[in-house]
Amino acid sequence: MRRRIVVLLMVVAGFGLQAVTYLFLATPIGKPTDDSFSNPRVPFAPALFILGVVLVFLAAVVYEVLPENGRRESR
Amino acid sequence: MPRYGMVIDLDRCTGCRACMESCKVENNTPEATFWMYVFRFEEGEYPDTRVRFMPRPCMHCDNAPCVKVCPVGARYKREDGLVATDWERCIGCRYCEVACPYGVNTFNWTHPEEQYYLGWEDGAPPWANPDLNEPYGDERRRIAGGGRDEGVIEKCTFCVQRVEQGLDPACVHGCPLKALVFGDLDDPESPPSRLLRKKEAFRLLEEVGTEPRVHYVGGGPPSENSKQIDAVEARV
Amino acid sequence: MAARLERLPFGVGHTSGRWKLWMAVLAAIAILGWYGWYLELSRGMIVTGLRNIGPMGGATWGMDVAFIVYFVGVSFAGITVAALVRLADVKALRPIARMAEALTVVSLVLAVFAIMYDLGQPLRGIVNLFRYARPQSPFFGTFTLVISGYLFASLVYLYLGGRRDAARCAEVPGRLQRFYQLWAAGYGDTREEQERRSRASFWLAIAIVPLLVVAHSTLGFVFGLQVGRPGWYSALQAPSFVLLAGVSGIGMLIVIAAVVRRTVAGTDRLDDGVFRWLGNALMILLLAYLYFMVVELLTSIYTGAEREREVTEALLSGRYAPIYWAAVALLVIPLAFLIMRYFRRGAGLTTLVASGVMVNLSAMAKRFLIVVPSQTHGTLLPYQPGSYTPTWVEWAEMAGLIAFGALLLAVFAKLFPIMPVEGSES
Repeated sequence: MRRRIVVLLMVVAGFGLQAVTYLFLATPIGKPTDDSFSNPRVPFAPALFILGVVLVFLAAVVYEVLPENGRRESR
Repeated sequence: MPRYGMVIDLDRCTGCRACMESCKVENNTPEATFWMYVFRFEEGEYPDTRVRFMPRPCMHCDNAPCVKVCPVGARYKREDGLVATDWERCIGCRYCEVACPYGVNTFNWTHPEEQYYLGWEDGAPPWANPDLNEPYGDERRRIAGGGRDEGVIEKCTFCVQRVEQGLDPACVHGCPLKALVFGDLDDPESPPSRLLRKKEAFRLLEEVGTEPRVHYVGGGPPSENSKQIDAVEARV
Repeated sequence: MAARLERLPFGVGHTSGRWKLWMAVLAAIAILGWYGWYLELSRGMIVTGLRNIGPMGGATWGMDVAFIVYFVGVSFAGITVAALVRLADVKALRPIARMAEALTVVSLVLAVFAIMYDLGQPLRGIVNLFRYARPQSPFFGTFTLVISGYLFASLVYLYLGGRRDAARCAEVPGRLQRFYQLWAAGYGDTREEQERRSRASFWLAIAIVPLLVVAHSTLGFVFGLQVGRPGWYSALQAPSFVLLAGVSGIGMLIVIAAVVRRTVAGTDRLDDGVFRWLGNALMILLLAYLYFMVVELLTSIYTGAEREREVTEALLSGRYAPIYWAAVALLVIPLAFLIMRYFRRGAGLTTLVASGVMVNLSAMAKRFLIVVPSQTHGTLLPYQPGSYTPTWVEWAEMAGLIAFGALLLAVFAKLFPIMPVEGSES
C-alpha cells in the first residue's frame, strides 16, 4: 500500500512539475518583446521539466523494484 | 520607447554598395560575410532590359520567425524594435538562419581571427571597433558586432552600438546619396516618417507575415522576371 | 520454475576471434569519426561543406541534421515493438522485444552525438539548453521529450524488462555475475512480482507511445512550421516524419534480427513468424509513406508557388535528381519484394533483409533531401541557387556513428541475452 502511494505521488508530482514548468517557461500569448518570450521566468526551468519527465518514469521503477514494507518476499 | 525602422529609397539607390562596406568596417564582419547586401537585378528581355538595385539589411521583423525558433532565447526582440543576437548565449544551432525568409543570418564557420582579409597580425583588422564587445540595452546583453566568437550566428544589428549613442547605423551614414533613412517610426518628424508620407511604400515578402520594419519607397519588389546579376560570390 | 541455467545463453560472455576482429574494425571507423569531430572542434565548422544561406550560396544544415533526424527516426522501432507486444498482445514479436529496445537506446545515443556534432558551440549548448530552452521553439520538444524523456523512458523499459533474465543469468558463476546481480537486485520471481511486471510494462508502453508521436512530430514541426523555406512549409511534414521513422526503424530491426539469427547460437525462436510480422509491418508503413510522398509531389507540381516549384524541379530533374530517384527506387523495390513475400508465404529471408537495408539507405537519402534542397534552391529572395557537398569529415562522422552504434549493440549482446531466456516468458 505504501509503495502505491509513493508511486502515485511520483507520477502526480512528475506531471505536475512538467505542467508548472511548461507554463512558467511559456508565455501563453505574449509579445515578442516581452522578457519572458526569450528567457525562462525561473532559471533552469527546462531542467525542471525534464526532471518531471524523469520522475514519472522512475515511478515505474519504484513500483516494480521497491519491496513492500521493506520485507523480503517469500518464493 | 522609440519604434525604430528604416526606409530605403529605391529611386535614389545606384547599387554602389558603399553601405555594404560601411557595415563591414563598422561591425568588423569576417571574410565573405555581408550583413547588408545589395541586389542588382536585371529585368526584361534584351534590348528592353533595365537594371534595378535593392539594398537588403535585416528586416528586424515584428513577427520574426528567427526569434520564435531560437531554442535558447539568444535571438530576441528588444522593446525598441531591434532584433538582437546575444553572441554569448548562442549555441550555434543555426535554426534562425534556416527560419529567416530573407537570408540575413551569417554563421562564424571558424575562429574570427583566421577570417579577416589579408591575415592581419594579432588577428584584429586595423578597423577593429572596441565598442562591439560592450553589453547594450537595459538587458545588458552582448549583441553588437561581427566575428565576436566562432560557432555563433550574427546578423545586422541596426548598429546597436551607434543607435544607443543617438547615431544612425553605418549603412545609413555611409550612403553617398542618402538613400537609406533610419529613425523612430512613431515620431512624425523623423526622416523615415517624413519619407513614408511623401511616397508610397512596400515591404519585402509581406505575404509571409513577418511584419518587417524596413520599408521601401520608389521602384517595386523583385518580380518573377528579376534576375540577379553581379552577385557577391563570396564563400569561405 | 525453469531449470537452473548451466551456461550463459546466446553466446553471452564468450567472444570469438572473429567477433573481436569485427569490433576492432568498427572501433577504428568510430575513432575516425571522432577524429573528424575533433577537427571540427579545433578548426571550427569550416571543415564541413556547410555554408551560409543567401549570398554565400550554401546550405547551413546538411548531413549532420539529416542524420539527427534519421537516428531519432530509427529509434521508433523499440517502442513500436514494445507497444505491439504489451498493448496489442502480439506474442509473435516477443523474441525481438529486447533487441528493439536496445536499438532504440543506441539510436538515441547516436542522435545525441549527431546533435553535438551539429552545434557550433556544443559545450555551451548542453548548459544553455538545460538553462534556457524555450517551448516556443520546436527544438524544445526535441531536447526535452525526445532526448531526455524518450531516452530515459527506453532505458527504464530495458532495465525493468531485463530484470528477470538478469536474475536467471546471475545463477551462472562467472565474471559477469556481479553485473547480473546488480541488474536483478530485488527481483524475487514471485507470482505477485510477475503481475506487477505485467502491469508496469503495460502502463509504461501506454506512457511511451504518446512520447513517440510527439517526438517524431516535433521533429517534423522543426521543418514544417518554417514559412520562409518553400518545400518545408507543409502540414504533411510531421506525419510523414513519423511514418518514415517507422519505415527505417522496422527496417533496421529486420536487419538486426537477421544478423542475430545468423551469428548467435540458440536463436531458433527467431523464426519465420517474427519475420513475417516485421515484413508486413514494414509493408504497411511503406505503403502509407509512399502515399504521403505522392500527395506532396502532386501538390507541389500542380499548384506550387514559384519558389516551391524551384525546389521541386531541383529534386525531380535538377541537381538533386540522382539522389531523389535513387531514394524512390530504394522504397519501391522493397515494397515490391514485400508484396511478393506477402502473397507467397515463406519466401526467403534474403530479400527481407535486403529490403531492410534499402529502406534505411532511402531514409538517409530522404532526410538529406528534406533538409538541403530548400536551402540551396527556392529562396524567397532571388539569390543564386547554391550548392552543398559534404566533406570527408562529415562522411567520417556519420560512418563513425553508425559503426559506434553497431559496436554498442554487439557489446550489449555479449553482456546480456539479446533474446528472452528460455522459460522466462510468462
